[in-house]
Amino acid sequence: MSKSLWGKYLFVLMLALFLVLAACGGDDTGDGETDEDPGDTTEETDDPDDDGDEPDDDPVDPEDQIYDVSDFDTAVSNDGEPIDGGDVTFGLVSDTVFEGTLNWNFYQGNPDSQIIQFFDEALLSMDENYTYTQDGAATYEADQDANTITFTIRDDVQWHDGEELTAEDWVYSYEVIAHPDYTGIRWGTPGFTLIEGIDEYREGNTDSIPGIEIHDEKSFTIQYERLTPSLLTGGVWTYALPKHVFEDIPVAEMEESDAVREEPIGIGPFVVDSIVPGESVSMVKNENYWRGEPNLDTLTVKVVNPNVVVQELETGGVDIVSSFPTDQYPENADMSNVEFLADIDLAYTYIGFKLGHWDEDAGEVVYEPENMKMGNKNLRKAMWHAVDNDSVGEQFYNGLRWSGTTLIVPSHPDYHDDSIEAPSYDPDEANRLLDEAGYEDIDGDGLREDPDGEELVINFASMSGGDVAEPIANYYMQAWEAVGLNVELVDGRLLEFNSFYDRVEADDPEIDIYQGAWGVGSDVDPSGLYGRNAAFNYPRYASEENDRLLEEGISDEAFDVEYRQEVYSEWQELMVEEIPVFPTLYRALMLPANDRIVNYDIAPGSGVYWYELGVTEDEPVVAE
Amino acid sequence: MWKFIVRRLIITMPQIVVLSLFVFILASLMPGDALSGQIDPNISRDAIDEMRERLGMNDPWYIQYKDWVVGAVQGDFGDSFRFKMPVTDLIWGRIINTFWLSLVSVIFIYAIGLPLGIISGRYNDRLIDQVITGYTYLGFATPLFIFALVTLWVFGFHFGWFPTGGSVAPGLEPGSMEYILSKLHHLLLPGLSIALIGVVGTVQYLRSEIIDTKQKDFILLARAKGAPESRVYNRHIFRNSVLPIAAFFGYEITMLISGSVFVERIYSYPGMGNLFIESILLRDYSVVTALVLLFGLAAIIGALLSDIILSIVDPRIRIK
Repeated sequence: MSKSLWGKYLFVLMLALFLVLAACGGDDTGDGETDEDPGDTTEETDDPDDDGDEPDDDPVDPEDQIYDVSDFDTAVSNDGEPIDGGDVTFGLVSDTVFEGTLNWNFYQGNPDSQIIQFFDEALLSMDENYTYTQDGAATYEADQDANTITFTIRDDVQWHDGEELTAEDWVYSYEVIAHPDYTGIRWGTPGFTLIEGIDEYREGNTDSIPGIEIHDEKSFTIQYERLTPSLLTGGVWTYALPKHVFEDIPVAEMEESDAVREEPIGIGPFVVDSIVPGESVSMVKNENYWRGEPNLDTLTVKVVNPNVVVQELETGGVDIVSSFPTDQYPENADMSNVEFLADIDLAYTYIGFKLGHWDEDAGEVVYEPENMKMGNKNLRKAMWHAVDNDSVGEQFYNGLRWSGTTLIVPSHPDYHDDSIEAPSYDPDEANRLLDEAGYEDIDGDGLREDPDGEELVINFASMSGGDVAEPIANYYMQAWEAVGLNVELVDGRLLEFNSFYDRVEADDPEIDIYQGAWGVGSDVDPSGLYGRNAAFNYPRYASEENDRLLEEGISDEAFDVEYRQEVYSEWQELMVEEIPVFPTLYRALMLPANDRIVNYDIAPGSGVYWYELGVTEDEPVVAE
Repeated sequence: MWKFIVRRLIITMPQIVVLSLFVFILASLMPGDALSGQIDPNISRDAIDEMRERLGMNDPWYIQYKDWVVGAVQGDFGDSFRFKMPVTDLIWGRIINTFWLSLVSVIFIYAIGLPLGIISGRYNDRLIDQVITGYTYLGFATPLFIFALVTLWVFGFHFGWFPTGGSVAPGLEPGSMEYILSKLHHLLLPGLSIALIGVVGTVQYLRSEIIDTKQKDFILLARAKGAPESRVYNRHIFRNSVLPIAAFFGYEITMLISGSVFVERIYSYPGMGNLFIESILLRDYSVVTALVLLFGLAAIIGALLSDIILSIVDPRIRIK
């Protein structure tokens, strides 16, 4: 082999090696935000985000601008007179298709619920604190002495096919969900389990639920074993199921039937006209809607990928959307054809401390701080003091997330207690607390040992997803190191969503602390997340005081809102003292609306309903 | 020939069994399942446990596998956990979408690739060849997912000539002329993106084969006999140069069903590639296993098809 040929071979080999190595290096082309919302709310992960902290001398780089959620309105400022008719496109922002289980009683994923909301609705309306009101399609009356709630449906409520909505339809949804063959996931909440005699029905001993008594066409009474305020803040199942459509379908086959997937009907302001599976749903107005005839002629829901939602908004391809990636806001804040609305999101991010384990057989939490690395209250408090969450919110989220204080989010304005003083950023205090608790640096390596003088390594589980997941996790670890705590990532890397929750749920001994997020429900009652019998109580914290407060929060007395507020204030205070978890960030929910949209308000219980939605121009306004 | 095909098909069977087993074991090793996304304080934990039990997710993998095989043999791949409908119906809905997308892109690939390759090979080293080769280099260097994003932005959003997502405009009557045109309209841009990038291999193969064949003795003979240049190219050179492309054709057919993950995701096109990724991410195992099996089957059949096509085009390698 001649020398030059050798040279060529060598060159090819080197080139190949170079390419292979280069290919191994940068592999972050995939969309970081995979898909974490198959359920509604569920655990939230952090969105993909541009951390964009390039130093820039320009007056105000949009990426450095700090925003405040309270500067935004929840309702559009366009107060023009809506034109007669009009067509609106609603962008269902999702990187997956919608499943197509278009019925409140069977749906699982959030995308489906975004569609159902236009053509079917709850029979009871809610106010801004998520308490049922008397302005819906039905009214209710709770009798605390008899433990009953009586529901009365308004006279003018009809299904889309013209049939009257009857009490039987509503009771039918209870009968289906409690049916042993029911395939959905709505069974099991107190709204069902507290009904008298429901177990008998579930076991198949009775044909109807003994605790439900139908009086006439329009009213019925449910007999509960006991009444809790939770029933009136989301506990009662408020969705009817058209019996005349479903009665011939076996319960087990309902969710795959055409009545759910292809020709769904409801009582809402719009009627489903046609469905392109997974992509779009066209609706026309329901002239007989009980609140009044809708302003719009048609409404189209179409799936929009989060990557292109900005372009769709700019070109007027969609008028309003189901969600908007908050991290894209700073760059698009001056989009000329839309108005951005914001409200406080029903979610918080938090750091949790593992304080025990789950006893599967007993179905309860075993709280054993004495055996756990994080069992020392001062240690936990010091870790809270050590981190500067306001800076995290400003640096990574342009102020659209901000430091949390208590475990009841301000999106429940009556229950969130902002007078509680939660530990704030104060590294000196953190150091003092650690010294006091006996965590001292004995071997002089700059890191503290535990009170027994043993090396202290805290294992931190954090989820991957989005560009900022890693820098934020790193920030926390550095902040803790600054007060002398050695915190390391579990496995030395961020965990993928599924394995993260698998391991946190299984109380993996390698996890001492973790960063998670909760989307909170409409009911303020936190016992589903922090109760002794809650499997989702991942920190595995329990105490008698905690049990008592959670119990009182849903007791008879708590029907008195002021009493309930007091109880939950006390509970929030207890959580700030005990710190089984501490909230790191609250978040803003941002939703843009095209400038031609009127009567649109994103606040819960705003009293603005979909039938009022209108447009002031025929065509969407396009960005300049 | 038939003997060959039958023999190939028999070898295929164990391949598929091994494939399915492999997929099943790997899938069961993945953390999380279809219900791990349902961590929601509004949903009772018992309801989820009950559902796990009912769906057989608590059984060991070999029992699940057995159940699955028994169903699969009867053409029943179970229900999708997520969509709550039979996997076969789900795949059927998607396979049609992907089929049309792939068909459009394959047509584009050959419509663009064959002329370019022929021109480039015939006039090699002239300016036109350099332009075409330059394009193929660029095409090789451009990742499809970048290119698709750029075309989407330029032609979809900036100029607004094409729809930017989905497979058909909402609210049209299926089967109507409008519906079909809307479908086609939705296919053009993604199809073209795939084709403009996918075509470069075809052009390169064809070009080098043509240049190669041009210098063969039998071409010299054809010319010496006085055959006109067009006949020399169309009959003698083209037929001999198309072999590697014919070999590829079988795989192209496979692509008809497996789709392109990138393009389908970027254009939110509800096809097989998108379904595959989504079902992996959401742990919709019954769909994943059915799809992998289908893709595997398609690959095996594609290879077989390639061999058969090759033997038709090239009598020299016909198998005895």
